[in-house]
Amino acid sequence: MAEGVVYDLGYHRHEGSRLGRPGALRALYRDGLRRVLGLRRRARSKVLPWGLLAIAVLPAAAFIGIAVLTRQFGVEDVTFFSHADYFDLTGTIALLFVAVAAGELLVPDRVHGVLQVYASRPLTANDYLLGRAAALATVVFSFMYIPHLVLLLGRAWVADAGFGSYVTSHLADLWQTAVASLVYFAALAPLAFLLAAYARRPAIAAGVFIGIMALSSPATRALVVEAGFDPFGLFALQQHPVVVKDWLMGVPSAHLVPQRAGFEPWVSLAMILAVGLLCGLMVARRYRRPV
Amino acid sequence: MSETIVATRGLGFSYGDIVALHAVDLDVPAGCIGLVGANGAGKTTLLKLLLGILRPRAGSVWALGRSVPAEALAVRARVGYMPESDCLPPDQTAADFLGYAAELAGLPARAARQRASDILGLVGLHEERFRPMGGFSTGMRQRAKLAQAVVHDPDLVLLDEPTAGLDPEGREEMLGLIGRLESFGINSIVSSHVLTDIERTCTWVVMLDGGRVLRSGPLTEISATGEVAVEVLDDPAPLAAALAAAGAVVETVGNVLTVRGGPGDPFDLVRDALAATGTTLRRLGPRRTTLEDVFLQGGGDG
Repeated sequence: MAEGVVYDLGYHRHEGSRLGRPGALRALYRDGLRRVLGLRRRARSKVLPWGLLAIAVLPAAAFIGIAVLTRQFGVEDVTFFSHADYFDLTGTIALLFVAVAAGELLVPDRVHGVLQVYASRPLTANDYLLGRAAALATVVFSFMYIPHLVLLLGRAWVADAGFGSYVTSHLADLWQTAVASLVYFAALAPLAFLLAAYARRPAIAAGVFIGIMALSSPATRALVVEAGFDPFGLFALQQHPVVVKDWLMGVPSAHLVPQRAGFEPWVSLAMILAVGLLCGLMVARRYRRPV
Repeated sequence: MSETIVATRGLGFSYGDIVALHAVDLDVPAGCIGLVGANGAGKTTLLKLLLGILRPRAGSVWALGRSVPAEALAVRARVGYMPESDCLPPDQTAADFLGYAAELAGLPARAARQRASDILGLVGLHEERFRPMGGFSTGMRQRAKLAQAVVHDPDLVLLDEPTAGLDPEGREEMLGLIGRLESFGINSIVSSHVLTDIERTCTWVVMLDGGRVLRSGPLTEISATGEVAVEVLDDPAPLAAALAAAGAVVETVGNVLTVRGGPGDPFDLVRDALAATGTTLRRLGPRRTTLEDVFLQGGGDG
């Protein structure tokens, strides 16, 4: 049975410009953003990313609403949580998001043979991986940073000192939350990418990643605190970004596993970078010959 | 010979201990080129070497005048590739994926969308362009794969088993599309183990067997036998006798005589014998063999 009709509309050669590798990289990056956010895909693909973003922003929006209301009743300086506290929520959301997004970015291309199309275009395997990582970094950074921006601008809006004065006096919050957001990405994404580079299904990659991260804290806590094996404090993968974030924002804390094991905050930062580098090299090796 | 689009010198590649290509020397002209050989002959390996996906273990390869893999990215910007296996994301529409495939080759976004629409019309998928490709039939998937290979208007397209899995009607349509590529200014290398597909679409044939080149040349030369086929309406016996008397070797099957050897041009011999015996001629021409025959004979003397 004929499955379509071939209409002869003629053929026209492309006489316009060709953007080469830079154009291909931009297209790859945009596709990564669309894939991570579920854009131009079925509605169910949009539920998780946009739902998580809404959950991340909701507390900040609620705070602003409550602050505006209470101000009308003469109550001032309402503070439910600090920027550092807010990372406890957005960090968990980022973990869930990265778990799902890394699989969506890498697994379908490999399983459905789309890598063969990339391999026939003016792109290297590293271009592909960097384009995917850049798209994920953009979205995860936005995920983590936008709620802080909303919180800061909301506080500035209701501040007695006035909007401009509040923002000026809290500029440190802007860069600290930005850097901390990048640290969370660096701590989460490489391992998620590594698992996605080998998984046959995105859900399996996500499940294993969440399992490793979730188990790393209680397992290392038991080994460090109860058994006294301090070096295992290095493997508290989920807590390293929290340690670095507290260090950046000047929040005193000593309850986290790496700290209980006696490691300075810079060790947590070094561990994040080392794990990231190792995972990055392993992913690059996996994609050395993609098809 | 017209412009060379692909050349190799001493090209070799192996997967571990398994030799896939051994000392391959080729000069392939522009046009529609058939790459034939049994499964495992090295066809797909050669295509991947042309794209720079694989690196040669020995020798050199050039495509469109550029060295591969040194200039692989520049080559890939002007080459399309239709892989044998699946390469379509099931959750994307054909229009979205083709637009993206064109952008990945460096076309600006607007031009990419326009070409995606045009090419989908060309391959007969215009009505299906907004459907996720996961619901496509095998024939539609093959046409979408061909579309992504040509959507960026390449100078050369590499087609790996383009008719695989197609029913007879789908095969006809695919061969028709491939046959039209040359008129669009797109050279093509069609890899196939279905020799009749190559005979129908290509003008130049490269035969591979066990990683070695059996033959490479114009289809007309490869299929030529140097023999003359004569079909007559009358009793062929007097004509056969006259030709044998003139020194030719004649084989008769029904009313068809195959003539070879003899002094001078065999066509002249046949003309003279027809005139002498008064036999009524129905058809006269060079006898051509099929690619299958050439392949089974080990590539002839090439």
